[in-house]
Amino acid sequence: MFFLFPGSCLGMQDHEAPPRSIKKMKTKFKIRRFDPQKDQAPRFQEYELEVPQGATLLDCVNLIKWTQDGTLSYRMSCRSAICGSCAMKVNGHARLACKTQAKDVIKNNLVVLEPLGNMTVIKDLAVDLEPFWEKVEKVMPWLVNDEEVSPGVERLQSPEDFHKIDAASTCIMCASCFSDCCSEEVDKEYLGPTALAKAQRFVCDSRDKKQFERISKLSKEKGIWDCTHCGECSQRCPTDAKPLERIVELRNVALNSGVLNNNGARHAKAFVDSIAKSGRLNENELPVKSMGFFNIKGLLEILPVGIRMLIRGKNPPLIHHSIEDMDQVKKIFREFGEPK
Amino acid sequence: MKFAFYPGCVAQGAARELKASTEALAKKLGIELVPMPNATCCGAGVITEQNPVLSNTLNARTFAIAEKMGLDILNICGTCQGVMKKAQKELKESPKKLEEANKSMAGSGLEYRGKVKVRHLLNVLIEDIGADKLKSMVRRPLKDLRIGAFYGCYALRPGELSGLKDPDNPDEIENLVRALGGEPVDYPGRLRCCGFPYVMMSKRNALTMAGNHISAAKENGANCMVTPCPLCHLNLDPYQPESAKIVGKELNVPIFHLPQMVGLALGISPKELQLSKHIIRFKESLTQSR
Amino acid sequence: MLQHDVVIVGSGLAGMRAALEVCGELNTAIVTKVYPSRSHSGAAQGGVAASLANEAKDDNWELHMFDTVKGSDYLGDQDAIEIMAKDAPTTIREMEHFGCPFSRTPEGKIAQRDFGGHSRPRSCYAADRTGHALLHTLHEQVMRRKKDLTIYSEFYLLSLIIKDGVCGGITAMDIKTRKIEVIRVRSVIFATGGYGRAFSITSNAFASTGDGIMAAYRVGLPLQDMEFVQFHPTGLFGQGILVSEAARGEGGYLLNSKGERFMEKYASSRMELAPRDIVSRSEQTEIDEGRGVGPNGKAIHLDMRHLGREKILERLPQVRQLGIDFIGMDMVEEPILIQPTAHYSMGGIPTDNDGRVIIDDKKTRITGFFAAGECACVSVHGANRLGTNSLLDALVFGRRTGKTVLEETRNKDFPPVNEEEEIGKVKKEISDILDSPGTESMNDIRNSLKDNMMDRCGVFRDKTRLEECLKAVKGLQARFPKGKIMDKGTNFNTEIIEAIELRNMLDFSEIIVTGALAREESRGGHARKDFPKRDDVKWLKHTLAAKAADGGIELKYKPVAITKHRPEERKY
Repeated sequence: MFFLFPGSCLGMQDHEAPPRSIKKMKTKFKIRRFDPQKDQAPRFQEYELEVPQGATLLDCVNLIKWTQDGTLSYRMSCRSAICGSCAMKVNGHARLACKTQAKDVIKNNLVVLEPLGNMTVIKDLAVDLEPFWEKVEKVMPWLVNDEEVSPGVERLQSPEDFHKIDAASTCIMCASCFSDCCSEEVDKEYLGPTALAKAQRFVCDSRDKKQFERISKLSKEKGIWDCTHCGECSQRCPTDAKPLERIVELRNVALNSGVLNNNGARHAKAFVDSIAKSGRLNENELPVKSMGFFNIKGLLEILPVGIRMLIRGKNPPLIHHSIEDMDQVKKIFREFGEPK
Repeated sequence: MKFAFYPGCVAQGAARELKASTEALAKKLGIELVPMPNATCCGAGVITEQNPVLSNTLNARTFAIAEKMGLDILNICGTCQGVMKKAQKELKESPKKLEEANKSMAGSGLEYRGKVKVRHLLNVLIEDIGADKLKSMVRRPLKDLRIGAFYGCYALRPGELSGLKDPDNPDEIENLVRALGGEPVDYPGRLRCCGFPYVMMSKRNALTMAGNHISAAKENGANCMVTPCPLCHLNLDPYQPESAKIVGKELNVPIFHLPQMVGLALGISPKELQLSKHIIRFKESLTQSR
Repeated sequence: MLQHDVVIVGSGLAGMRAALEVCGELNTAIVTKVYPSRSHSGAAQGGVAASLANEAKDDNWELHMFDTVKGSDYLGDQDAIEIMAKDAPTTIREMEHFGCPFSRTPEGKIAQRDFGGHSRPRSCYAADRTGHALLHTLHEQVMRRKKDLTIYSEFYLLSLIIKDGVCGGITAMDIKTRKIEVIRVRSVIFATGGYGRAFSITSNAFASTGDGIMAAYRVGLPLQDMEFVQFHPTGLFGQGILVSEAARGEGGYLLNSKGERFMEKYASSRMELAPRDIVSRSEQTEIDEGRGVGPNGKAIHLDMRHLGREKILERLPQVRQLGIDFIGMDMVEEPILIQPTAHYSMGGIPTDNDGRVIIDDKKTRITGFFAAGECACVSVHGANRLGTNSLLDALVFGRRTGKTVLEETRNKDFPPVNEEEEIGKVKKEISDILDSPGTESMNDIRNSLKDNMMDRCGVFRDKTRLEECLKAVKGLQARFPKGKIMDKGTNFNTEIIEAIELRNMLDFSEIIVTGALAREESRGGHARKDFPKRDDVKWLKHTLAAKAADGGIELKYKPVAITKHRPEERKY
């Protein structure tokens, strides 16, 4: 930019970063570098940069690449938060570099940049996205509706029905949620938040004809019930897609369309039953009902922890008491038609 | 200081030591805890999966009970706190949802007006009492304790509801640890999920998470951990022997409930704090009074 | 050597839409420098035009056609525009059938709204991210056809292979490994997007570096109307990122340093909602005459504060967020700084109405080579594109081109390709760049180019500045071979890609400036201060710029197709 405004107070090296008056501050950028072809292990490299006021984090990374170290590799394209290329870990959490004001992530004059998690590094901040895409492709991510429709008319969809798929449709496939997903971290088979949010977009699309088939498949192992509710995905999501909320909606569809033959759905049902009955959770009943009464193997697996807790006097009281004023609670449940 | 005390299901069930230690600590700090015998479960984010309106309504009822008592709610469970904050947000943002909830309470003499504050013990300790005050009350500095804080998901996310200054990189528990004379230990995983919510669905994965975090804390020098959420505690403590097997490491790291840690520093006896109820026990030398 | 019946270069709307027509029957591949969902079509916000008449019952294709012809300042080919306007409703409904999440009217039809230059509310939209919704819908269909369609993601186009007027394939580099591949084909479709990146202030993605058009130019094909670049009036200052027309639609004011709503002087009836080229010129006039705001007076204020906090949060949350995220300014608190931003490339590879690349006014073809979308010049936008016609162009002509290619490729043989020779050529080019003396900074060259183009070949142009600009561009071209490359590695080497992109930018900039210098009139996006009037007698014609035998640029012209509407003065 300083070329555009010769003699201005801007210390900008390139016009990708915005102008305005500048407060000089040198910031240390600690960037994790790794070229598997050359390096034994990842290492941190430090760069110092005067961050122009109003600069985004992507502006800063570009300044580093273009004025200090051309060997730094990362992805970027639209720089307006719609293409999803420039997601990276900033101070430990996934973010879109272009959508982040540098000043918001500089702590004690330091920013730490790392590649996204849950994927292998190709080089520096660029990771291999193939496993990510494979999972998206697994959820049949397209509208299925084989009914004849004339090219002269659109299918109708009410604004309310559009609203049900609006949030998921904002996903830009930046993989931030996938990067920081706790469940993905321990289980590479888990479908993951991006794919599940994408699935919600079709399960809840009034035009789609495969809702039951989709939700049945998604209810199997490694699907909707393998999310821990940790909220990382929604916290990291730079759009309104908010995967956790979409996963909750999918679970709602599963529970209300009778796809119940799995631990997750049984657990949810048992939970609701317990509150409906006594206002509080019956911790003695819940594991048994979740596993299923006839799931001997599952039940045996939880036996040791039960015994351990019993010995320490940590077992839930054997006689489960209801809360007071339970009639009020029962009335509320009745009003909402629960438990079904 | 006086609160409508909402211990939550787990502190009245499998983690009764949490309720007991909270009560002991409250006494020490001069906090009056008024029971809410008619409050329901918060739903733990599970009821909402079956029926989001029902879940919000049950919480609205709990809020209404507290409003009737004229008291703010004190939570000691990170999950209850997170779920309630979220319910408050949704009810605040949608007058329709609020109306619906109040309608279904009609006749019970309860109405939620959006006034009650929902506080977690952690926030009360930091904001109302303050690290300095706590520091001045310390009778048994935690100087041998190198403590890994485990925040728990619901205390952190969504960040805007957490009440923490920087939920992406919080230091509230660490500051408490310091004030109490202990040494906070930073480790990867302190802000991650313990795995408890799906321990019944995907036990191996759930315990891998717990095992990884405990082992990371230990590798970074922790000799114990602390958590403000009894659900995390369930996965970190009672399941720890299984977690150790799954991650193939010796763990043996005792886990404090938050009020146990604070109470210990303030001179409450380990017995009163019911430390002996834990599966992984503290070495006596670390917790004995002096 | 890789081999496919059809290779489509580019994975935006035009490329993926064409692919869906071709794949299945023919062995088809898409080569893209990004991932399909990351193509720049996704950045379009406002909508896509089609006379569905869901909002205005009296809308029809004739009105759409006339608005487009008028918007083009009569440089658009009317036969092509007629096709686009007629095809639009079917094409958009087909996207709906594919699953595109369009916003809806109360009765459930595709919602439509007003847009600059259109006489009826015919912009079909998906909230304020229409391009994104369309792009992802096509990507979904492409994933559905996975078995029939090979995707080469993060493959960078290096050259087009043409011998004796017949296209035999392309060469491309796998960005992940730097490996160069020859892909032999029966037909190639270019859908490689625009060339806005040569301007310092642009709404374009980093990827919009005119790679396709330059590959065509290098093998001797002409480029059409390259001097026509659209400047959008509301780019975020310094960044150029687009602030949607919705901001002005909701009642935003454009203010100069005196706090005046200066549009009163330039378009008193439409004010801030006059067409894009007019508003951009008005802003630039204020800036040039010393009434700009911001650093060195190079910006204009977009003031939304009179709407009040609540209305801004309710109606324009995304636009407000844009200011906060990208330049750290909150429009609730203060007017935000904006400026004209290079937005759309009207020029490109000349094609007929079915995507066939043609090289002269006799419609002489290059066998097996097709183009669609922003890289092509059909021409439906002429001298100035109307908002919401770009997504439409990409979809309509992507689809038509796909159908043509399917027809024409079925019974066509693979032309012979000399793999070694083709690889040798591009390898040498790359090694020249890698082995340069490294005495020049690529960053400086790139910045100089962009500043030159913006300052001297931007919203306003004149002979002196264009000549200075041409000289500067040539100087930069001479410095380029000495540009420094630090990354000599083969693993995800983006520095070498950026260098080749810079070479493309330098070369098409020369073509833009040369065309602009020759065109001594003002028309649409091309505004000459020294020739402020449109001149239909001399200049109602398309520019064709091709490489001359001496390596210079040779300009030829071809007539505009005028079928229904005689040119008249363009007043709003």
